[in-house]
Amino acid sequence: MSTDTQNTAVAQPDEHEEGENYLNHETSVWSWLSTKDHKRIGVLYCVTLALVFLAAGVLALVMRAELSGPGETMMANDTYNQVFSMHGIMMVFLFLVPSIPAILGNFVLPMQIGAKDVAFPRLNLASWYVYLAGATLTIMALLWGGVDTGWTFYTPYSKTTGGGVLWMTSAIFVAGFANIFTGLNFIVTIHKMRAPGMTWNRLPLFVWGMYATSIVQVLATPVIGITMVLLILEQVLQIGIFDPSLGGDPVLFQHFFWFYSHPAVYIMILPAFGIMSELIATFSRSRIFGYRAIALSSVAIAMLGFLVWGHHMFVSGQSVVSSIVFSLITYLIGIPSGIKVFNWVATLYKGSIWLQTPMIYALSFLFLFSIGGFTGIMVGVLSVDVHLHDTYYIVSHFHYVMMGGTVVALLGGMHYWWPKITGRMYNETLGKIAAFLVFVGFNLTFFPQLVLGAKGMPRRYATYADRFTDLHQLSTAGSGVLGVGLFLVLGYALWSLKYGEKAPANPWGAATLEWTNVAALPDPHNFKRTPLITRGPYDFHLADEVFGGGDGEADGDQGLRVPDAAPAAPLEPSRDA
Amino acid sequence: MATDTDIAPAPTETDHHDHPAHLQHHFVSSEQQFDSAKLGMWLFLITEILLFSAMFVAYAVYRQWHPETFVAASETLNVTMGTINTIVLLTSSLTVALSIHYIQKDEVKKCIYNLGATLVLAGGFMVIKYFEYTSKFEHGAYPGGMFDPHGGHYAQLADVPFASQFFSIYFVMTGIHGLHVIIGMAVIGWVAVRAWMGSFSSEYYTPVELTGLYWHLVDIVWIFLFPMLYLI
Amino acid sequence: MSDDGHHILPKATLLKVFGGLIFLTVLTVAVAYVPLGPLAVPVAIGIAATKATLVVLYFMALRYDNPVNALTFTIGIIMVMVFITFTMIDTAFRGDMGNVDRQTMGEIEREQEAAQQQQEQIPSEQLRVAPADYPDDRGADAGAASGDSDS
Ligand SMILES: [Cu+2]
Repeated sequence: MSTDTQNTAVAQPDEHEEGENYLNHETSVWSWLSTKDHKRIGVLYCVTLALVFLAAGVLALVMRAELSGPGETMMANDTYNQVFSMHGIMMVFLFLVPSIPAILGNFVLPMQIGAKDVAFPRLNLASWYVYLAGATLTIMALLWGGVDTGWTFYTPYSKTTGGGVLWMTSAIFVAGFANIFTGLNFIVTIHKMRAPGMTWNRLPLFVWGMYATSIVQVLATPVIGITMVLLILEQVLQIGIFDPSLGGDPVLFQHFFWFYSHPAVYIMILPAFGIMSELIATFSRSRIFGYRAIALSSVAIAMLGFLVWGHHMFVSGQSVVSSIVFSLITYLIGIPSGIKVFNWVATLYKGSIWLQTPMIYALSFLFLFSIGGFTGIMVGVLSVDVHLHDTYYIVSHFHYVMMGGTVVALLGGMHYWWPKITGRMYNETLGKIAAFLVFVGFNLTFFPQLVLGAKGMPRRYATYADRFTDLHQLSTAGSGVLGVGLFLVLGYALWSLKYGEKAPANPWGAATLEWTNVAALPDPHNFKRTPLITRGPYDFHLADEVFGGGDGEADGDQGLRVPDAAPAAPLEPSRDA
Repeated sequence: MATDTDIAPAPTETDHHDHPAHLQHHFVSSEQQFDSAKLGMWLFLITEILLFSAMFVAYAVYRQWHPETFVAASETLNVTMGTINTIVLLTSSLTVALSIHYIQKDEVKKCIYNLGATLVLAGGFMVIKYFEYTSKFEHGAYPGGMFDPHGGHYAQLADVPFASQFFSIYFVMTGIHGLHVIIGMAVIGWVAVRAWMGSFSSEYYTPVELTGLYWHLVDIVWIFLFPMLYLI
Repeated sequence: MSDDGHHILPKATLLKVFGGLIFLTVLTVAVAYVPLGPLAVPVAIGIAATKATLVVLYFMALRYDNPVNALTFTIGIIMVMVFITFTMIDTAFRGDMGNVDRQTMGEIEREQEAAQQQQEQIPSEQLRVAPADYPDDRGADAGAASGDSDS
């Protein structure tokens, strides 16, 4: 290991002045804009992505409002096309893909492995600026007449429609570099920056999730980059690779697009799996069941994910041979995903479950992601997909995975790490109410869409036949509930920044390093002493003995938030596979 | 590229007085910093490989569909110039490898000479590429939509279906490769200047090594482009 | 410190590798003028792959490098192979979706080409597949009957 020369402790722990932390040691605007601190970059990303999520989410509510009646209710067809396109593009490329790695990965990952920072701090900051450049180009696309191609940019339509496409494809090209920088940084960080004793088998599962994600980011993102460049060249120079009127092949574009965009689904969901493992273990106070299986299944999903992209193209005219191959491999992905769900449920079994807000999100995730996964297997079946392709069934399926999976996990993770990020507690009661609203609102919005799709309602239309009215209105009502839930989260999050109760160093009694060895608000360099890791990330019974609350002990007098001391937690080592 | 910028010696504002100047504060040792930079560079290189892979796929697919077209169209490319360019680029790979060899032995001057030679060879590659491009443009062999071959041995291509696809792929692949050569020249120039200013020694030469890796990758891409476009 | 991950390649090795690369370049150009038929492509790509391997192992010193870097590079190459192979599984058998004939579309096309080369002249009605091929008569109706090749 390259880290084995690290001193276990600097001889005299630095006497930082009391209360110095990563937020208050520098406060000027420039100190934020030029920061190389991974925690601050995480916060910068958090604010930026929250704005993007807000914008794209409002677009979703506008769409549902338009669909509240079968005819044209509030906007013309063309406007609707632009609204759903921008919703999809912003949500996928500018929000979901960067979301968990850029916010929580940046903030938490170095602390979880006992590092002072990521391997390339400047590259990390560059990632945020590049992302901003991508966001700026997106705004240019809007000013240039918008995009109405859907988020998939299928040729030849994307070649013929408006100048906004040029800006938007450039935006995706540029924003892709932000993701590559983050992924590259994390892989190197995980390989080279681990604290002494932090073996691969002691990595928290969030780190494993981020590792698998980063592999996909590094391998897949360049392909969407070059695809966007080729699409731009197709428009500008008429190169005739994708345009059938020039002898090109539009299906080839779909291959290029989905070679990235299917693995991109795993860029979105693998970090969510990582958060899930942390939440489930911490809030059931039990050692995670099948640590190795969860860790390696992430990597297996990351690799298998590259072999299935053609399941998006069953009706595109690709050859039947490849459809069959892609369909069969798609079933295989169910195995590692199933392993994870099984392991989480097994971890819950006989654990002492503590129903705090993050745990409610985790349990929501289990339910919603299972529906997303099962419907995914169904549309992976060749003959079924021919009927369900381009219906609301698909729309509902991927919202169950991306919103019910990724966004719910992100919300759970944000609540879980909120005390560490801000040093404040959010309001638990409101948190539970919001989590409940999100869960109910989400199902109310998207379950009717499964039925709609099965009945034949096609996606991407502003109007629909009268017989679909009831279900569409139910879905619109659900989107309202979901919206209220999310705005409630935003509201109490902002409120807690100023008025929230001060958080202790380890409010959840978790056993990973960012809780046990870091002060309530982290030090600018994370750790006052480099930790020496002697146990696994979920050995709750050992955490208190060895670390005794860590450096945050000084402000740890609100011990009442911590559940029963770890040794009392049910512990059956024989259960660990 | 951006991985390079992380290697520049940061002023050590920390009180870790025993650290060498190039060591950033969040690393424990030069060894760890070097290993990290190198792994980062290899990861960057595979992103480059995958960036080019889509163009290789396009080539493979169109060649599979229209093999005769590709044979006919590739005959219009100038094999002599292509061969010379291949040798030029291979030689530049040798010089950049030698520059690393010399800096590892603390022979800074020889390292700079080799970096300079690499720069000259890269420039030569671009000049030959320029003559190749202009001779195509003269005969209307533009990419895609503007494809209108006439004169010389290009005229026959007017009747070959999908010949414009070959030239689209040719210009896109060699164009993006050329862009990488230009970026490489800028980076090599910057590294040479820093070597001249005395920033590197056998103790610290990470930027030289990483630039070398990048340059070899540019060479490898050309190693494949040459037979694909010129020979078969 | 300089032996550990900082392997200095001897100048002789570098020059030998360079010699090998030049030799292979000359070889691939020479071979291009030999009519190899279907072997031309695999031979050219094989020589290029050998050259690339030499560059990676010696000039880039991957042979003496940390195994993690070699693994990284290998995974990248595997992904390129996956990309090319799986796309070509489609493009090699394209059009079979609407084809109810016992033969694949590729086989039909090859037969048609062979027939075309034999008799040069096929009555133009037999070559009509798309609606645009029927400028004079009922156009789309006639085209729809036979035009299900969707590539
Ligand atoms: Cu998919």
